[in-house]
Amino acid sequence: MNNRVIHTPEGVRDLYGRNKKNKKMLMHKLDGVFDRYGYDDIETPTLEYFEVFSSDIGTTPSNELYKFFDRDGNTLVLRPDFTPSVARAVSMHFSDNAFPARLCYSGSTFVNSREYQGILKESTQMGIELIGDASAAADAEVICVICDLLLSSGLKEFQVSIGEVNFFKSLAERSGLNEETVETIRQLISSKNYFGIDEVLDQSDAPSEIRKALSELPQMFGGPEIFEKALQYAVSPQEMEAVRRLGDIQAILTEKGLDRYVSYDFGSLSKYNYYTGIIFSAFTYGSGEPIARGGRYDHLLGHFGTDRPAVGVGLYLDQLINCLQRQMIPFGQDEEMLRKGDAT
Amino acid sequence: MRYLTIALTKGRLARKTLELFGRIGVDASGALDKDTRKLIFTNEDLGLRFFLAKGPDVPTYVYYGAADIGIVGRDTIIEENKKLYEVLDLGFGKCKMCVCGPASAAKYLENGDTIRVATKYPRIAKDYFLGRKHQTVEIIKMNGSIELAPIVGLSEVIVDIVETGSTLRENGLTVLEEVLPISARMVVNRVSMKMENDRIADLIRKLREEIARQEDTI
Repeated sequence: MNNRVIHTPEGVRDLYGRNKKNKKMLMHKLDGVFDRYGYDDIETPTLEYFEVFSSDIGTTPSNELYKFFDRDGNTLVLRPDFTPSVARAVSMHFSDNAFPARLCYSGSTFVNSREYQGILKESTQMGIELIGDASAAADAEVICVICDLLLSSGLKEFQVSIGEVNFFKSLAERSGLNEETVETIRQLISSKNYFGIDEVLDQSDAPSEIRKALSELPQMFGGPEIFEKALQYAVSPQEMEAVRRLGDIQAILTEKGLDRYVSYDFGSLSKYNYYTGIIFSAFTYGSGEPIARGGRYDHLLGHFGTDRPAVGVGLYLDQLINCLQRQMIPFGQDEEMLRKGDAT
Repeated sequence: MRYLTIALTKGRLARKTLELFGRIGVDASGALDKDTRKLIFTNEDLGLRFFLAKGPDVPTYVYYGAADIGIVGRDTIIEENKKLYEVLDLGFGKCKMCVCGPASAAKYLENGDTIRVATKYPRIAKDYFLGRKHQTVEIIKMNGSIELAPIVGLSEVIVDIVETGSTLRENGLTVLEEVLPISARMVVNRVSMKMENDRIADLIRKLREEIARQEDTI
């Protein structure tokens, strides 16, 4: 009986006692935020056909998906995130008059990631999708929800960094550079590698004003003052529209008093074609990775039927809990006990 | 004010870095003080903390946010492959990552033989042979004195950093192919870059100006 397995595999864990209670109460509190904004729960299965998360749809590389075969030889995967599942379910069940639809979810996601990164392979995600509304107000609403989620968790210092993928997409198109070079530049901009971009651009035959814009991109981040800088380089209608869109969002967030939690980053890009407008990540101390990620994906639903504008965000709950603990912020049961302690 | 923590790569890179920081008015010379056993040097006036770490650990400290900023060679950044912002080329610590071996080993690189490659940098070696040269190789991870491997017959060639090439020459080895140029880089944690944007951007700007000034005078 010596080799009886009682330990969990790497990247998954048991949760019980105080830690489980804290997490449960935190989830309940966050659920309250979803309620206040009028989001309805949706539940999708843990297992889906591989096609739902294939490379032209999903955000997780195929080699990081947990894959299985069913009896008919179809490939199934454990969901790595919710958005494609929700998009599929909505395309399947919702009629035209159901939109705009406000949906929220919570549950486990599975990513077979590299080892020793301190990131769980099974982790809890909570998030929302706002489907059928293409406006800047919808973008801003989703950002308000993520700010409110983080604030109600007890977090005080965080930054939501917002970008717009069309700014780069349009610059890349106008540059006339081949796909491979564009991909190299995209990676360099994503890692804010200023000098690397100059090196690549110097060897290319892109027009000089576009070279200048691309090499400025990694530095185009900060408060709303960078809109002006971005406008200096914006020529095509898509580029102008991208800057204007962020300006509209900023105006709404200012009105709600949330503008101090956001910053803008034109160099924040995604390697996935899935995003078609704003993209954003939320950061706080205590984690090397974002604690929430989201964006606009107007063509994702098209993969499952008809195109519908959509925007959403997913919160990585276990990451958030790590950050709360590292920042010594009590939450859940601990917070409640602290409050009772103050009262007596 | 929250401290900005800077991880330096032990050795010559740290000395050169602190020299550069000194020129922009950031004094951290205490970090190299041999007489103290303290692991962290603090500059209270500027709210900066410095510590020394082994090269491959620097990207790790920065990735997890234990350090906001790191100074480390490009070889290590690529090998460790962590998500970081790589914001500045400091211009020193220049050398090259090369495929080396006895001159007679050059033929193995041309006809696509399955050869053994000894290296401290398995990721870089794999990317180069599999990704760029499309040659199947067996990679042997070593931890030091890589030059020994082809001499005692552990491998046909090695992938290692070459500065002057004198160690190679003394052991009858030579550079067969250049893989990539290396220099010291400044890396920044992605969260810190957003949370402490003003202070970090200011530091980067000052360093960049100082590096440009230096290059002009040469």
